[in-house]
Amino acid sequence: MKKTILFLSFVALTGSLFAQKKTTTSATVNFDASTAIDALPKAENKTVTAAVDTKTGTVAFEATVKNFAFTNPRIQEHFNGKDWLNSDNFPKFTFKGKIADLSKVNFAKDDSYTVQVNGDLTVKDVTKPVSTEATIVVSGGTLSTTAAFSIKLADYGITGIPIDAGKVAKEPKITVSAELK
Amino acid sequence: MSTQTNKKSPWLKRLLLGGLVLVLAGAGIYWYIATDTFSDTKDRKAAFTVDAVDFIREFQQNDSLANLKYREKIITVNGTVSDLESPDTATVNVKMIDTASGNFAIFAFQDQHVAEAKSLKIGDQVSIKGSCSGGSLDGILEVIKIDFKRSALNK
Repeated sequence: MKKTILFLSFVALTGSLFAQKKTTTSATVNFDASTAIDALPKAENKTVTAAVDTKTGTVAFEATVKNFAFTNPRIQEHFNGKDWLNSDNFPKFTFKGKIADLSKVNFAKDDSYTVQVNGDLTVKDVTKPVSTEATIVVSGGTLSTTAAFSIKLADYGITGIPIDAGKVAKEPKITVSAELK
Repeated sequence: MSTQTNKKSPWLKRLLLGGLVLVLAGAGIYWYIATDTFSDTKDRKAAFTVDAVDFIREFQQNDSLANLKYREKIITVNGTVSDLESPDTATVNVKMIDTASGNFAIFAFQDQHVAEAKSLKIGDQVSIKGSCSGGSLDGILEVIKIDFKRSALNK
């Protein structure tokens, strides 16, 4: 009986360590559109869903636009407003991509790996390709990933006086971090 | 030899004074807007107080109606801590899961309330007050996910 329990525990443990799909519901995405003349347009969303398939190398992120928390209420209102992200009609940001050089990563060996991720970012129903370098730290079956890239707001139809006036960056920096289990 | 008077027109004086008042008022309004921050959620009045499972099931039954009712409002949710996710020292997210469906609500905490949230354990009965960002079917996990930001333990 003891042996059976021990065996089942071992199967469960190794199953979770080497599961093909690693997920989290607590990835963090930072949005930083601050400029030299305005430090306010930046926010953080700490409840982003993410998944990495260690066999196929597919990567996916999904963020609820309204869950980006700004320090300033007025900026948060503008961010979600019709002229900007229009989050009532377009409630999610999604990213679907793939690790281009998956063979560089040994998911069974604890180490740090730098990879190239290519994919499509959808904002306000506009989908544009995004390529970025990402770091994957493998530790005991957990993947800690980080990546940073910029997007052009105009590519997603986001324009306006604050951007032209230099109060909001034309190319905000997006930083993503996730611990996937 | 003629003497010149430096006396300015009273209208010019009034115009300059008016301009100065406008500039100061504008600067004051800008300063107020620029330095305004969200208040502590703990001190805010909740629009609704709900049981976690009932709340999650409202989204399951009709997410459009539930979003109209709860989105962008302060909600107090009473329930059991199903899971805790703490990917870094500055973060702890609490999940309340409807075990029958896998649908869940997830709470990210206001900076000043992260430490108290870190003391929670799975199975604890809690009351959490937070800003509801709405809920819908998550395309990755294929369950309904309801997001909260700037949450606080409602002791």
